[in-house]
Amino acid sequence: MEKTKVKDWRKLREFVHNYTHNSRAMVGLCMLVFILMVALLADVIAPFSPTEFIDVAQLPPSGDYWLGTDHLGRDMFSRIVYGTRISLMIGVVAAAISGMTGTLVGAFAGYYGGKIDRILSQIIDIFLMVPTFFLIILVVAIFGSSIFHVMLVIGFTSWPGNARVMRSQAMSLRERTFVKGARAVGMSERKILFSCVIPNGIFPIISNTTMQIATAILTEASLSFLGLGDPNAISWGQMIFNGRNVMTSAWWVATFPGIAIIITVATFYMIGDGLNNVLNPRLRQ
Amino acid sequence: MTQNPLLSLRDVNIGYRTPSGMVRAANDINLDLFESDALGIVGESGSGKSTLAMGILDLLADNAEVRGQAVFNGKNLIGLPEKEMRSIRWREISVVFQKSMNSFSPVYKIGEQIHDIYKVHRPGSSRAESDGAITRLLGVVNLTDRVLGMYQHQLSGGMLQRICIALSLIFDPKIVVFDEATTALDVVTQGQVIGEIKRLQHDFHVSSLLITHDISVVAETCNRVAVMYAGYIMETGPVRSVIEEPLHPYTQGLISSFPTLESGKKMIRGIPGTLPDLKEEVPGCIFAPRCPKAQEKCRKQRPQPQEAATQHTVACHFWGRD
Amino acid sequence: MSRYLLKRFLTAVLTVLFVFVLNFVLIRLAPGDPITILAGQDNPSQEQIDILKAKYGLDKPIFVQLLAYLKNLLKGDMGTSIIYGRPVFDVISERLGPTLLLSLTGAVIALVIGTSLAIVASRKPGGLLDNIISYIAYVLYSMPAFWLGLIVILFFASYLGWLPTAGMIDARAGYTGWAHVLDVAKHLILPAGALALVGVPAYFRIGRSSMMQVVKNDYVNLFKAAGMDRKKVYRKYLFREAMLPTITTFGIRLAYIIGGSAATEIVFAWPGMGTLVLSAIQTRDYPMLMGNYLILSISVAVWMILVDLIYAVADPRIRLS
Repeated sequence: MEKTKVKDWRKLREFVHNYTHNSRAMVGLCMLVFILMVALLADVIAPFSPTEFIDVAQLPPSGDYWLGTDHLGRDMFSRIVYGTRISLMIGVVAAAISGMTGTLVGAFAGYYGGKIDRILSQIIDIFLMVPTFFLIILVVAIFGSSIFHVMLVIGFTSWPGNARVMRSQAMSLRERTFVKGARAVGMSERKILFSCVIPNGIFPIISNTTMQIATAILTEASLSFLGLGDPNAISWGQMIFNGRNVMTSAWWVATFPGIAIIITVATFYMIGDGLNNVLNPRLRQ
Repeated sequence: MTQNPLLSLRDVNIGYRTPSGMVRAANDINLDLFESDALGIVGESGSGKSTLAMGILDLLADNAEVRGQAVFNGKNLIGLPEKEMRSIRWREISVVFQKSMNSFSPVYKIGEQIHDIYKVHRPGSSRAESDGAITRLLGVVNLTDRVLGMYQHQLSGGMLQRICIALSLIFDPKIVVFDEATTALDVVTQGQVIGEIKRLQHDFHVSSLLITHDISVVAETCNRVAVMYAGYIMETGPVRSVIEEPLHPYTQGLISSFPTLESGKKMIRGIPGTLPDLKEEVPGCIFAPRCPKAQEKCRKQRPQPQEAATQHTVACHFWGRD
Repeated sequence: MSRYLLKRFLTAVLTVLFVFVLNFVLIRLAPGDPITILAGQDNPSQEQIDILKAKYGLDKPIFVQLLAYLKNLLKGDMGTSIIYGRPVFDVISERLGPTLLLSLTGAVIALVIGTSLAIVASRKPGGLLDNIISYIAYVLYSMPAFWLGLIVILFFASYLGWLPTAGMIDARAGYTGWAHVLDVAKHLILPAGALALVGVPAYFRIGRSSMMQVVKNDYVNLFKAAGMDRKKVYRKYLFREAMLPTITTFGIRLAYIIGGSAATEIVFAWPGMGTLVLSAIQTRDYPMLMGNYLILSISVAVWMILVDLIYAVADPRIRLS
């Protein structure tokens, strides 16, 4: 037990070393810290309430309202600051659902093999080919567009990629000595799956899931833009949707939320890419 | 020997620039390759033997720095303009590489790739001409022209390596460099390929430079050998003399770690320790930290090569003294 | 190869069936229904509703409706749009052309730009140019297509007035012949450009990483040692091999891009399938929705098989398996 702890420590230190030496990953991490601060301290940072009509509609950016006011006279800056929370929540929850579902399905298929694998692989293949975005639109349009639904449906349509990766991981781990050894000493299959196979094969899933946070944020924005977002949520996509109609008279209403989306999404892409580079020695230069 | 060397290396130094400093891969190398000579360069992986050969042909990565003289046909190859170098490559000096499974592109047929190489030095030649030229040589390595219509993945490692050997001779070069040419092959195929190398050395009057970590390959195919360790040449001489009476402690260790050469009963000894950090400048003998005979002098002063027997030089302060 | 194709075909059929049944059930479970929308504000009597429901077969159980739909489908009949009052197939085929025009143009531009940038960047990995292009790629990758659409409309159409803001043709002018083609091209530039820019990073990333992979191939050394010109090695050998993953990506993205251009279509009021699906959802036009989803999933499935075939032609290694 002591030995594995030492080994884990060394691995972690090596990981931190490699991560800090990857410039893009570090830029991403710094941006993430910034975004998290904005989300946590939204109450302190935002000068106004994001939902109150504080002044005349469509005021251009000024000293009072840094990013102007929207079509109903709400402060754009405050709304964008608060919007960080919704975006992060949707991204993280949807990606977590996708990561967990994909890991479980893929690990089962890859580890048990045989018939289970054939059936699960077929299901994975089918889900991979489903035109996802339209399915999401349909579900949200039909079952209502609460934040909860949006997170759920994004999560449950994006898992097949993770499942595929985990499946091949589990297939190769199954043949490794330490897994065979665990089986030889009589550890139950389920225990092996959860304590040997999944923890050792999870790394590519982690970087994949980080990227999916980005994709989920983009998908939510698209849904909101199509008028299928949660009308009660302070969402960047929704702000662009509202700004679209006043684009020519008040460009700032749609422009700034878009920039907020780009910054946030790029952050997760960079971290995901960085993790991928750090955790996958083949890609390291 | 009064004969003029075909290729003569003088004070060749090769280093790789890395963010954490210069890696000294080959230092103060002096070697001669004569007409119809077969010179083996032997050493562990990381000893700089491949770097040396590739450095002479300017085939190293961009971060490599090659200095010194490598005189071939009265021309110094080091620092030669790219265009002149290209005309020497393959026509005068060709190479058989190690990794046979990846030696050709997977998306074109072998024959077409050989034609492309043929065209480099015979511009405007037809596919039939290149097919004819290579078919004659494929016979030498026991293959037929059937392989020309195949893709890389349809051929075995041994077959690919034979094609590479045939291809290396297509322009009747003066020198063929075998860069670990038999390493990736299984034992039986390795034996066959070595047999073919020996035959073509004899039939084609080429000089060969054979780079390997396996001293038994050198014993079979070469008449002279240079032993390299951590970027330095430890010992050079005729194969028989070096193998039967190794003078350098490193060579002695290297030979005793190969079971096939000595009588089977002898204990196989490895050399304890690992390669030194090539980024650090070492004032003394580079092998001293691992040498069983090392003394104070070895750590302070670098031994210069000295002639111990006819044609047999060794870089050690204490050779011959036990 | 033929066994593999058969397996792919089976997956494709299963996928289409799955999408079909899922959508059918989802749509019928929906709370709103088209009858109320059709009957409008007249506050229809129960009798009227029943008549309309019977007309569209909505009074029967889901399972019976599904079978009836399948039976008609086999005869080539996708039903009649409740809102348009015309055969679903006719409406969709009108929209398919514009969608393909937009998405294909966008995809090809993205492919060309992305791959060219990849080649430029991979020449000196980690260099200044590589870094600049990579960061731009991150920004484009993170950009919502619809937002970019709004921005280019604002700048090029509203502010500069160079190009039309929306639609596919200038309806008032009523051009014919070459003038018509030119008119469509003018309307195409902004939406296709926006779509292409958002697609560039995918091709850039895949092209750059596979370019960096293939230069590590051992045969590069052979050709270099043989005195071959670096440019020739690149042009003939590395480029073709590096393009293989790009071809796959292109094919796969093409399959989804019919749906993927939806948001852009809506921003630019482009008369394609995206706008059609959205309005069909809003009006609960069941037959229209079903038709769209069916065509979408079939096209994805067919494309996937085609991509496999193209890949097999380009990469001889695959033909064996």
